[in-house]
Amino acid sequence: MAPAAYPASPRADFAGSLALIAFGCTVAVLSWQMDRFAQQGASLHTAPGLWPGILGLLIAAMGGLLASRSLWRARHAGWDAARRDDTPLAPRSSFALAVGLFFVYALLLVGRGLPFWLGTALFVSLFVFLFQHASRKARGTVVRGVAVALLCGLATAAAVTLVFEQLFFVRLP
Amino acid sequence: MFDGLIAFGHSLASFLDPLSLGLILLSSLVGVVIGALPGLTATMGIALMTTLTIKMPSNQALLVLICTYVGAIYGGSRSAILLNIPGTPASAAACLDGHVLAKQGLAGRAMGIATSGSVLGTLIGMFFLALFTPVLGNLALKFGSYEFFWLAVFGVIIAGTLTGDDPLKGWIAGLLGVATATIGQEAIYAYDRFTFGSRDLAGGFNLVPALVGAFGFAELLVTAREKVLPVKINPFDSVIPKLVDVFRHWRTILRSGVIGTFIGILPGVGEDVAAWSSYAAAKRASKEPEKFGKGSIDGLMAAETGDNACVPGAMIPVLTLAIPGSAPAAVLMAAMLIHGVRPGPMIMIEAPTFVYDVVAMMLFATLGILLYGLTLTNLLIKVLMVPKPIIIPIIFVLCVVGSFAISSRLFDVWVMLGFGVLGYVLRRFRYPVAPLVLGMVLGDLMEKGLRRGLVLSDGELTPFFTRPISAVLWVTIAIVVLLKVPGFTGLVGRMFGRRKPLDAG
Repeated sequence: MAPAAYPASPRADFAGSLALIAFGCTVAVLSWQMDRFAQQGASLHTAPGLWPGILGLLIAAMGGLLASRSLWRARHAGWDAARRDDTPLAPRSSFALAVGLFFVYALLLVGRGLPFWLGTALFVSLFVFLFQHASRKARGTVVRGVAVALLCGLATAAAVTLVFEQLFFVRLP
Repeated sequence: MFDGLIAFGHSLASFLDPLSLGLILLSSLVGVVIGALPGLTATMGIALMTTLTIKMPSNQALLVLICTYVGAIYGGSRSAILLNIPGTPASAAACLDGHVLAKQGLAGRAMGIATSGSVLGTLIGMFFLALFTPVLGNLALKFGSYEFFWLAVFGVIIAGTLTGDDPLKGWIAGLLGVATATIGQEAIYAYDRFTFGSRDLAGGFNLVPALVGAFGFAELLVTAREKVLPVKINPFDSVIPKLVDVFRHWRTILRSGVIGTFIGILPGVGEDVAAWSSYAAAKRASKEPEKFGKGSIDGLMAAETGDNACVPGAMIPVLTLAIPGSAPAAVLMAAMLIHGVRPGPMIMIEAPTFVYDVVAMMLFATLGILLYGLTLTNLLIKVLMVPKPIIIPIIFVLCVVGSFAISSRLFDVWVMLGFGVLGYVLRRFRYPVAPLVLGMVLGDLMEKGLRRGLVLSDGELTPFFTRPISAVLWVTIAIVVLLKVPGFTGLVGRMFGRRKPLDAG
């Protein structure tokens, strides 16, 4: 493959390769430190750390290969050479908001004492409202947006509770 | 031969009760809708349905899962044709010609071609599933620890080579998956590895939450990162498949069916590779290759036949070797284990009729997609018009519930989140996710194969290389790897090129 034809830039690949080398070496060191049960007469090939140790070294070696390839590509095509990706991206702030809402729901609203249906209704309503707010504001339908968001939240909570808990007897968080 | 047919007849009859037929209709519909919705993949759909069906009898639960699988792979073509967005990665190839046909006002015909291709592809795959599984099952009985070790390595290497566009990154993703499988208690001394005192980690990661994270949550993060574009659906004509399209393209159908099944048999190489390979083969064989990408019926037929033929193909290594042929098949295998079905070399001895049950399930699923292919278009369009800000949080709720429900542990929800972030980061840095998952599934088999083999040979490595099946496997692995080493093929070519004049002289 030509140096610029790879999907990621040499800069990104080089950073990734350093992380892989560090990770692989850590795994290898931790594996080396594992008990080998030598006092029970066990041989090296049954040691619990043998396989993860081999994997750690292989990951570090692959990281080394990726690093050398990144350096070669950077020398021939520059540090930022990569195949063009024309996917239009959302603003970083809206992505951060979505990720924040995902984590708040999964870590705080679920399984922490709040009834599942309430946590779910809150999450879905808030998500729908916040991500439709800009377009609804432009069209002057904010009140309708609130109603749609609440309806989506309550309907999702009711449907999931009914289907999982009542119909298929699956426990909910 | 006749024993097989009789067993297949019994299997068919066992599903001809109102409850099973209702489940077939419902789960095929769920599958088609899941497949059609961009952001919900077949893997995610099967993982969610695994949690829903956990209290069902095993045969009915697996019937639901197989109908969802077949439905989802087919459903992806709808959004590919109508929106130019593949509902599942398997339908990416269908976008090329399907959407061009839609823009020409032939969306209905394109959907008809997708329906006939998918139905015939599944039927061809089913034929090979019934034919090859007993034969491969018997061959698999000859496999020992050494062979299983190399087979697992082969699976990760081949998945890493074929699923992305950068084999080195595919192999790295596979290795990371194998390394993940070492977390928790190991098999010989029950020694805690990389658990850091956590009791939850001692059991290792459950496969379903990890898969829901790597495929479901990661996909949601990718969707949330991308800009929401307005949905525009072209007007369409009749969706009823035309027999002339089938007769005129019978060679493409047969070729793609065989390619799709073969790609399915390869461990971890899923429906997307099957669709692209069938598409490429059809283009090479076509008298009008210039039409490919500009609304070629041959191209669309090849892609849709190939990806659906891959579904039964992917079940062949699951049933005979307990090695999944694709990412959705990995979840299906996990579901089989949850329901007490033990896939692997012993299946033809312990439960020989189960293979025919799976073939019968595939047939019913095919009838399901045929039915919905002819009737469901308007409903699907309504589903596709639902705005992303409404779909995304609902899918995330399902990710959380699906991860929790398997073992009723909040830890599994955290695992889903962790694997989602890992899957997203890997995709951002252009690493394929499928080898990671296959590494997780095969890591245990690989380690057991290596350590048992070493115990049997008293630390001697020779049997890993000298036993006949092992030798075939490791030589194949070496060739696959060497062919991807930059400059290797050129070097071989130069070596032969240099020898020619010598020979001539």
